Amino acid sequence: MKKQTIVVLFVTILSSGCSSLGVEPWERDLLAKDEMSLSSSPVDNALDDHIYFSKEASSGGKGFGGGGCGCN
Amino acid sequence: MQLITNKKQDKKSMKKDNIKALLTLATTALLSGGAQAETPDEDSWEFDTAFLLYSEVDRVSAGEVILNATKTFQDEEILNLKLTVDALTGASANGAIAQPNVQTFSRPSGKGQYDVAAGETPLDDTFHDTRVQLNAQWTQPIASDYTASGGVHISKEYDYLSLGLNGNIAIDFNQKNTTLSIGASYFQDTFTPEGGIPKPFTSMLIGDGSVSWDDDDDDDYSQKPIGWAADFAQTRMGSEDNKTTTDLLLGFTQVINRQMIMQFNYSYSMVDGYLIDPFKIISVVNDGGLAQDNVYENRPDQRIKQSAYVQSMYHFDTTILDLSYRYMWDDWDIKSHTIDSRFRIPLGDGSYIQPHFRYYQQSAADFYAPYLMQSDFELQNKRPEFASADYRIGEMATYTLGLKYGMMVNNGHELSFRLEYYHQAPTDGGFDSPSVLASEELYPTIDAVIAQVTYSF
Amino acid sequence: MNKQAKAIKNKRKVTLAVREDSYCISFNAMASPCEVLVETDSSILANKLGKAVADEVWRIEDKYSRYSSSSACGNINNSQGKPIAIDQETFLLLNFAEQCYQVSNGLFDITSGVLRKVWRFDGSDSLPTKKQVNTCLAYIGWQKVFYDQHHITLDKGMELDFGGIGKEYAVDKAIIIAKKITKLPVLVNLGGDLAATSPRNNNQAWQVGIEHPDFFNKSTGKHEIKTVIVSLLKGALATSGDANRFLLKEGKRYSHILNAQTGWPIENAPHSITVVAPQCIQAGILATLALMQGSKAEKFLTEQEIKHWAIR
Repeated sequence: MKKQTIVVLFVTILSSGCSSLGVEPWERDLLAKDEMSLSSSPVDNALDDHIYFSKEASSGGKGFGGGGCGCN
Repeated sequence: MQLITNKKQDKKSMKKDNIKALLTLATTALLSGGAQAETPDEDSWEFDTAFLLYSEVDRVSAGEVILNATKTFQDEEILNLKLTVDALTGASANGAIAQPNVQTFSRPSGKGQYDVAAGETPLDDTFHDTRVQLNAQWTQPIASDYTASGGVHISKEYDYLSLGLNGNIAIDFNQKNTTLSIGASYFQDTFTPEGGIPKPFTSMLIGDGSVSWDDDDDDDYSQKPIGWAADFAQTRMGSEDNKTTTDLLLGFTQVINRQMIMQFNYSYSMVDGYLIDPFKIISVVNDGGLAQDNVYENRPDQRIKQSAYVQSMYHFDTTILDLSYRYMWDDWDIKSHTIDSRFRIPLGDGSYIQPHFRYYQQSAADFYAPYLMQSDFELQNKRPEFASADYRIGEMATYTLGLKYGMMVNNGHELSFRLEYYHQAPTDGGFDSPSVLASEELYPTIDAVIAQVTYSF
Repeated sequence: MNKQAKAIKNKRKVTLAVREDSYCISFNAMASPCEVLVETDSSILANKLGKAVADEVWRIEDKYSRYSSSSACGNINNSQGKPIAIDQETFLLLNFAEQCYQVSNGLFDITSGVLRKVWRFDGSDSLPTKKQVNTCLAYIGWQKVFYDQHHITLDKGMELDFGGIGKEYAVDKAIIIAKKITKLPVLVNLGGDLAATSPRNNNQAWQVGIEHPDFFNKSTGKHEIKTVIVSLLKGALATSGDANRFLLKEGKRYSHILNAQTGWPIENAPHSITVVAPQCIQAGILATLALMQGSKAEKFLTEQEIKHWAIR
């Protein structure tokens, strides 16, 4: 429960402090690059997620971690 | 003379950067506004094809092929189709511990046995399986600053079927500098393991695997099997079982500055149903550490996992750093930390190298035990409700070291190679090792090599 | 000028030349020598790219040239006060011209082309009379233009002149097309207005020579070709200058850059200004606006923290 409160607080602080962060549309030259996308190699991520889902107890975090195969 | 009227300019009091900013806005409107009016070119399909090989030393090997196709339509609608085929072969730990003598185990089907040499971690090499998976995902803007996405998933192996749905909505704020995302997914999996579903905590029978019937008519399957086969059937409780997984994902993405973007995710996952691994057993040992019996494991029928994830991407002069951390906790008492980092270094001619380092650490599930003491197991009030010796829910640390090399070929297509070393080290969570076991390797490390080739066009 | 324009139009051919580590595709357009440089060893790609860029530049030239009565620009200029239908591209260009008019407080005005009827910059001392200029001024004024997404209406006698933005716009459109065709480094240079899709391989800058033909060297008293070597890592570059088109009367030099509001030339402007900006059209406007500041041209750009250099 305590952990959930921390997470909610974290997100609230972030969203209130975030109106001052950011860039104008003309400053997006670097951010627009494919390599700067938060999932720049979705195929690599999918393959890695599958490996770590089969070999470790955790899954997901970045995206959905649900079922999908009988490997765990 | 007839010079420019400076007075007029001063009145408007143009601040520094004002002209530059206004012109940039005007230029963007002119150049990107035009692009949308153009008809889409024929080549709006993008393909990624990848082949991966995963190989553990002396254990499991797997090959996986992915075909991914993405089509972007005129109004920024995106269709993504993915086909995945993987094949698994090799041996994995069955949960029993190493002993100073030869051990014999039955294969999951009950038909046949295998021996394990003294001092070796028991591995079952029955597994070779091929799996085919299809995913389809549709994304489209539903209002200005609102994007919706939905998809389906089907996965089939000879003993496993998984069907899933997912949906999510993303909302942009603050000139698309901030994005809030809410998503949910639901999976229904059905498991039909070879040999049927074992009764938890019943002993693994070691027999000759032969099937005998009430009389000698082998074609009459309505008969009940007798002898060993009957005993084996006694240890089973049905041929299939299923589980459902419901996930909720809350995401928050924020542009920090021109060079940096961050993402924060919270996810909640509830898995309900058959969570036991029907192929895993746990050794029951006496005070001397010698195994007296091997019983099928037992796990709770529900698991609630939560995770908090933070990722940041930072663009230096030419290099890019991708750093992320995930903390996971669940009601099986497992807690894990994951640090993942990638550093992309462009080499100038369109090629790049990207070193990769990942570190993972997890604590054991509260019902994890490398083995059970016979004295505890046989007493009604001292036997634990759940127990599993699967090292994958035990205390463990892993690290991955890898390198990826990407290059441009054929005018804009990308070819990349990835080679990684994955080291898994289960650790002793504080279990006393009775005499004989003290000299056995109870927590063997597992080393694996990952090799991948990807071609995007 | 008309004859020269027609002659150049007749030479619509694309030539390929191979260099050490790149291809150079050249052609003529908008009364200038144009070239496309691409860092590749594939002649097929170079051909495909060169043709696509040349076609686009010629398309824009044909559409917005005021020398052709059949172009979109020609149609608008001959409309005699009636509304003329326009397409999305023209609408966006008009929006851009509007923004420039606002930002420059009316100094940049694409209806000022009519002034060429009274001003001839041939190095002589024949200035028009005030009356001649004022008569022209009656047909100038962006605020008198009415347009919306589908139509434009000009008063009779008014004209639009896209000459101030046409070439730079063509560079930017060419870059968009180049990026669609290949991810390799490409430089598009239309007679000194140029842009690059990315730095050259190994993160090197493009070295471009910008020629100023008929440059009158004061110290030698001769006409020369002055070449400036420009180092561009990425972005665009545009030059606004007079190529020695001016009038000289009673010791005063009148450059060919005219103040749209007064109808008279800007005094003491540099011979040319070259500006670097993310896009070519932006660089071009900034260079033109700077020249309009006359003696304060460099200061104007320095204050805006815009990279530039000037020849006086």
